[in-house]
Amino acid sequence: MNICGILVHARPDGFGAVKKRLLSVKGVEVHGMSDEGRVVVTLEEENEDTMAESLLTVQRLEGVISASMIYHHNEEGI
Amino acid sequence: MKLTRREFIKNNAIAVTATTAGVTIPGFQRAIAAEGDDGIRWDKAACRYCGTGCSVLMGVKDGKVVASQGDPDAPVNRGLNCIKGYFLPKILYGKDRLTQPLLRKKDGKYDKNGQFEAVSWDEAFKTMAEKWIAARKKGPKAVGMFGSGQWTVWEGYAAQKLMKAGFRSNSLEPNARHCMASAVGAFMRGFGIDEPMGCYDDLEHADAFVLWGANMAEMHPILWSRLTDTRLTKPGCEVHVLSTFEHRCYELADNGMIFEPQTDLAILNYIANYIIQNKAYNKEFIDKHVNFTKTPTDIGYGLRDNDPREKAAKNRAKGKLSKISFEEYAKSVEPYTLEYTSKLSKVPEDKLLKLAKLYADPDKKVSSYWTMGFNQHTRGVWVNGLCYNVHLLMGKISEPGNSPFSLTGQPSACGTAREVGTFTHRLPADLVVKSDGHCKFAEKTWKLPAGTIPRANGKTDGADQSDISGKPMGPTLIHAVAMHRALNDGKMNCFWVQCNNNLQAAANFNDESLPGWRNPDNFVAVTDPYPTVSAMGADLVLPTAMWIEKEGAYGNAERRTQFWRQQVKAPGEAKSDAWQIMEFSKYIKVKDVWPDDLIAKKPEYADKTLYDVLYANGQVDKFPVVQVTDDRGNQYDNDESDHFGFYVQKGLFEEYRLFNSADGVPKKGHEMADFDSYHKARGLRWPVINGKETLWRFREGYDPHVPKGAGVKFYGKPDGKANIITAPYEPAAEPPDAEYPLWLCTGRVLEHWHSGSMTRRVPELHRAVPDALCYMNPKDAKKLRLRDGAKVKVVSRRGEIQTRVETRGRNRPPEGLVFVPWFDASRLINKVTLDQTDPLSKETDYKKCAVKLVKA
Repeated sequence: MNICGILVHARPDGFGAVKKRLLSVKGVEVHGMSDEGRVVVTLEEENEDTMAESLLTVQRLEGVISASMIYHHNEEGI
Repeated sequence: MKLTRREFIKNNAIAVTATTAGVTIPGFQRAIAAEGDDGIRWDKAACRYCGTGCSVLMGVKDGKVVASQGDPDAPVNRGLNCIKGYFLPKILYGKDRLTQPLLRKKDGKYDKNGQFEAVSWDEAFKTMAEKWIAARKKGPKAVGMFGSGQWTVWEGYAAQKLMKAGFRSNSLEPNARHCMASAVGAFMRGFGIDEPMGCYDDLEHADAFVLWGANMAEMHPILWSRLTDTRLTKPGCEVHVLSTFEHRCYELADNGMIFEPQTDLAILNYIANYIIQNKAYNKEFIDKHVNFTKTPTDIGYGLRDNDPREKAAKNRAKGKLSKISFEEYAKSVEPYTLEYTSKLSKVPEDKLLKLAKLYADPDKKVSSYWTMGFNQHTRGVWVNGLCYNVHLLMGKISEPGNSPFSLTGQPSACGTAREVGTFTHRLPADLVVKSDGHCKFAEKTWKLPAGTIPRANGKTDGADQSDISGKPMGPTLIHAVAMHRALNDGKMNCFWVQCNNNLQAAANFNDESLPGWRNPDNFVAVTDPYPTVSAMGADLVLPTAMWIEKEGAYGNAERRTQFWRQQVKAPGEAKSDAWQIMEFSKYIKVKDVWPDDLIAKKPEYADKTLYDVLYANGQVDKFPVVQVTDDRGNQYDNDESDHFGFYVQKGLFEEYRLFNSADGVPKKGHEMADFDSYHKARGLRWPVINGKETLWRFREGYDPHVPKGAGVKFYGKPDGKANIITAPYEPAAEPPDAEYPLWLCTGRVLEHWHSGSMTRRVPELHRAVPDALCYMNPKDAKKLRLRDGAKVKVVSRRGEIQTRVETRGRNRPPEGLVFVPWFDASRLINKVTLDQTDPLSKETDYKKCAVKLVKA
């Protein structure tokens, strides 16, 4: 199982739409955001390929200015 | 409530991310994985990828990396990590890691046309030593080494000694020649000392940012996220972006500009002209701290001597500056009016004006960033300098927020290639082999006889240096592109490539690189973790320990030196580059490569090996092997020290420090802390004086080298003044024409780093962007009746590749330009590119040549 903590930067004005787009990505949960547009996201995924794809998808979503990996854990059987 | 292990880990992920973001999420307190609770050992390391120099925490369990996180204590990335960071642990574990030396053999013997067979290190080095000793007898340029801005500091230092002092050859270059040489040239001409005056703290201090030919969003994502944060939180903050095609950064741009390739020269001169016409310049600053100069023009394009463009150049490769007055400077930029510049560059007038007004506003703190757009440019030294001109005219330099800043692409382009000086013309700490005095200082420091190091002109104290060939040494400099030409011409017969993929990376693969490598007279060794294009093109492949499989040090773009400990063991027989350099030196005797008159100065050296005189010299080997232990009591291996019987990294670093930190060094301003300090700190920015790092150089109050009352002092220059250097717009070497109507620009994409040697090992990453596409404008595609995804040939005068059309990607070229990334070993775009260089810096321009597209 791969578990990632990701910090997303989005323009605060359009955040509702960005959140929707984020949630459409497999394995993504949105946990909170600041007024300045910093969003706390986790990504959980068993399959390594899907994981990488989701990570890249988050990075490329419309309205996402940048996405940074904060934490990554990879362990089998959890 | 008891959490499952998975919930526990997820909570950690949320807590750590929220803390880094400064976001409060009720119910989550920071619960960073406590060490020891699941057998994971965490320790810091400098990231393996770009020049940003992020610190990452690597989690090791049972000898294998299982987890990673952005280092919350790191001033560079403050707990962030870019997407490439996710793949960091995986680059070590590609299925095709090389684990044994491989030599081309036929019938049990080395044969250039044989098949690769596994051999012992002893056989590998014996074969190699025989070839090198024979080749060196021809002259100093008959052997060559090509290293890297990804070398650790001590690997570069060990190589510097082996080549310049051991083999007495200046044929040492780093791949940084392809990415940083123009930046270095401009620093030396403008300021007399290398590397940026500012630091990353400017990302929070600036009121406005200007990006010149840098796609920070994809290439330096962590710096980009810091810039984004400032843009979104600081009232009035502006972002201006200039490039020859539209990329991710334009999403944040307040003023996005697309310019015709090469016209950045004109745009910068227009800004200077605007500042002067509006009398906006900082008169006090330029009177006190600036000299005005001009550089020779019409200098050619660094092509071969017989190229008509070289024959036509009036001042081929000339760069000697001559002083001019402020009035003469003002006159030189006068032709660059708004109308003329807009027409030439195709940037609308209002956008250019907005940019010029920003620089000219005394109340706006401006930071300018650039990367390969400026550096890989046949006028790279000029264009770097033109940007300094603008900052110097306004006095917007060397203080928080006002910062012209040259970003780097490799993790230690600064720390190793530039600071250790692994270029043909350099020695550590900005010393040069052109100076007899600098060479003598190096010889004394290395405890070697005077006259050992080859001077640029082959003369010491006015007399010829003798060579093992029996002839005078003669001129000794040879730059990266010239090395491939020399291999091709059979003048260089032995070549050793470490820590980069130069066969793929060098321009003009078909006509120069490949014929050079496969020339039957030549013996090419490649040190690599994976079977890259270079490894497969070699005669001997040496498997290497990469990154955290050895103790290492990198120096990033803001002068920060960072260390890490060996975290895991390398697979099989793989050995680090430093190990290989030092072990190989045991196979060469001093008398094999030094002439009698030099040995006569130290007769006891004759039968010693290069290892004895370079590394077992009582200086490098003076620190005993110790158990490496961190401040929490965790223990680490050090395979090099175990093998050689002394603390290898410490010995090399402490000897290197004699060049930058000992009393009476020829050039001050490069001071570093002692070895042990760096294992404790999250990096320190040099000059480090009395344990204190320097954030802004040349400014009183920040830089201890600036005397009280001076305010600003550019102490790299004898008179303490920086140079404004005027240079005009001159056209590119190969602009599009009727037959080849499109500009080709090459570069990188986020998911792949450089030639892809590491990132393409990671299957997920490979699948995400499997092939290098040809990014083009939909209108151009329509004109050629090419649909998205259609097969197409990209053809130049030199070669062609086949790929697919992409018109809707993240990179959106204007009409008349196509962009092709260069990571793809199956589509070598360097078959197409031209091996043109900046005649001053010898750095290749990969950004501009003419192509046509043909339906495939």
